[in-house]
Amino acid sequence: MNGIHDLGGMHGLGPIDREENEPVFHEPWEGRAFGLFAATVVFAGYSVDELRHEIEKMGHAEYLQHSYYEHWLVAFEEVLNKRGFVTHEERLARIAELEKGVH
Amino acid sequence: MATHPKETDPAIRVKALESLLTEKGLIDPKALDALVDTFEHKVGPRNGAKVVAKAWVDPAYRQRLLSDGTAAIKELGYSGLQGEDMVVLENTDEVHNVVVCTLCSCYPWPTLGLPPVWYKSAPYRARVVADPRGVLAEFGVSVPETTEVRVWDTTAELRYLVLPKRPEGTDGLSESQLADLVTRDSMIGVGVVAAP
Amino acid sequence: MLLTPEIVPGLVAAGASARIAAHVAPRFRAGDRVRIRNLNPATHTRLPRYLRGKIGIVEVDYGVFVFPDTHAHGLGEKPQHCYSVRFTGRELWGPAAPERDTLRADLFDDYMDPA
Repeated sequence: MNGIHDLGGMHGLGPIDREENEPVFHEPWEGRAFGLFAATVVFAGYSVDELRHEIEKMGHAEYLQHSYYEHWLVAFEEVLNKRGFVTHEERLARIAELEKGVH
Repeated sequence: MATHPKETDPAIRVKALESLLTEKGLIDPKALDALVDTFEHKVGPRNGAKVVAKAWVDPAYRQRLLSDGTAAIKELGYSGLQGEDMVVLENTDEVHNVVVCTLCSCYPWPTLGLPPVWYKSAPYRARVVADPRGVLAEFGVSVPETTEVRVWDTTAELRYLVLPKRPEGTDGLSESQLADLVTRDSMIGVGVVAAP
Repeated sequence: MLLTPEIVPGLVAAGASARIAAHVAPRFRAGDRVRIRNLNPATHTRLPRYLRGKIGIVEVDYGVFVFPDTHAHGLGEKPQHCYSVRFTGRELWGPAAPERDTLRADLFDDYMDPA
């Protein structure tokens, strides 16, 4: 699809920001998100192609404003809902509980 | 609430998924711990540096590496996820290779680990294909006009590792001393290896 | 399957290659001149926009791989050859590009026609 992910040759995206001694994961949640990739692929049986396409379907502004592992998160949320493993409803309910400090 | 509540702390969104999947018996959180530990501590650019140093000191290995990268890299014990089909690109006086994935973030995990944020970022992916010399200059790399800059856009499932040029004046160094000189950036093609 | 910590090292070391042991005839050979198709699917593709309609030369036939454009949508593996294709910087970016500079991309049979 002709999405925002297809970036080759675009102008105006700003400087390339580099970080000295960059950690592998900047926050613990990034590591958990990374781990969810392999852990969900083995039971849900989706392909990396399907995961990439979920990321490509993100809104353009959202794609540029959010970090790499947030892209993955959107893809997991979509694929797991589509396959019926974790519906959007139960996940959003859990998020609301976590925000209230229930768990 | 939106389907993907981006105003929510991503840590909470991840915890929601992880806790639900754990309760359903679909994932084992200890497997996530093991994956994090593997990519934080066991897999990373020091692996690639050992491949490069061996190629510099062992001409037969260098030949194997350039003709079948996957097999030669596996000789040193590095293989697997996102390195299943490897191609090694040799930088010479004639050609300077540089690697990008314009469509996502493809990167050779077994030899380089997980990619840095700049490699996955929109500016690098957008610019390095159309203005590689400009991007290389920002990384402090100046390629002579007489050298071809060859950009590799990782659009399929091949993964690329650059074999940088061995710096002058390193004849007396051991393989492990040479490996210590090799940087991650030099194996992406946005750096050169400096003499000590 | 439940991924347990005991399985993780083996999974990481083995990976999952997209290469397929299928006998599919290649449509191109090294040295062939190709024109990249002007495809604009609203679905998944690994053909970047900046290559569409451009002329390149097949450098290497990497063998047979899963075709991501169908696989992403559950429409089958559609095994086909994937090639390293060379483009000049000037073909892609115009006369201001440095004369010697080139780009390689990995492209499938279904993305190309003979030129």
